[in-house]
Amino acid sequence: IHQFGNIVLGGRGGGSNSGQLKIYPGGFIWRKTGGGKVVEVTKADVSSLSWTRIPRGYQLGVRLKAGSNVKFNGFKEQDVPSLSTFMSTNLGFIPEDKPLSISGRNWGQADLIGNMLSFDVGGKQAFELSLADVSQTQLQGKNDVLLEFHVDDTAGANEKDCLMEMSFHVPATNMTYV
Amino acid sequence: GQGDGQGVVRTTGDLVAYRNVDDIPFSKELMIQVDQKNESVLLPLYGLMVPFHIATVKSVISQQDGGHSYIRIIFNVPGAGYSPTDLASQKFADAVYLKEVSFRSSDVRHTNQVVQLIKTLRRQVVLRESEKAERAT
Repeated sequence: IHQFGNIVLGGRGGGSNSGQLKIYPGGFIWRKTGGGKVVEVTKADVSSLSWTRIPRGYQLGVRLKAGSNVKFNGFKEQDVPSLSTFMSTNLGFIPEDKPLSISGRNWGQADLIGNMLSFDVGGKQAFELSLADVSQTQLQGKNDVLLEFHVDDTAGANEKDCLMEMSFHVPATNMTYV
Repeated sequence: GQGDGQGVVRTTGDLVAYRNVDDIPFSKELMIQVDQKNESVLLPLYGLMVPFHIATVKSVISQQDGGHSYIRIIFNVPGAGYSPTDLASQKFADAVYLKEVSFRSSDVRHTNQVVQLIKTLRRQVVLRESEKAERAT
């Protein structure tokens, strides 16, 4: 069993959710510091694992068979090898290395994996969002798709800037999404 | 505003904001930031700061409504103001473009500051690149 403090749960309002993560042979349990939110993932729910190098540390991605991708931020470099061994032995998955795109480009590929939309630039993920957070999608004109995110009192309550809308432009020359 | 949309920074396939993850400025609080040194805007998306090179930014708009302020960043996409002979749009004909992102902010001062910083950085880079292009011809 491995336990880590100060692990931040990724998500639309990510950053304000810091807590303790327990990784045990049966799966993952994350508890928010001070109580409240609990995220539990059992071994049987996992479809794959990944490590991503992020500023000042590592992110563990736990992709679920149900379609979402739970992300835990804040691992140190020295945690990675021993955790990888532990997870491949006990959970049966060898985490794949998934580098981030940091080139700063706004053009790439949009891939839907489960209910996660991944925006990839040069074959690397720039960001990923959950369609579960999307309240509405609108086609604007022939080429633009607008995603509106859920708004409630808790959305963005703990953060300064809260994502509200995002739109993508699919050029007419693009045959992939027609 | 509209005036800020004047002059497109010519983007090429070689556009790079950061080469190393650790070069991305650290901030304890996830919020929109402008990195002048790397000429990038950093957006908090799902718990990570995601960089966008200033050359991808077309314009930025802020709005006040009740207790909140809103910030909308509009990116360059093929079409109006973006020549079809542009290297980027030719090279990436099958690409999908992030066109707009909007955030709601709880801090009006922060919103105004970010908008000013983005506009200033954009102006500087557009000016520098157009001077460079002029010298080249």
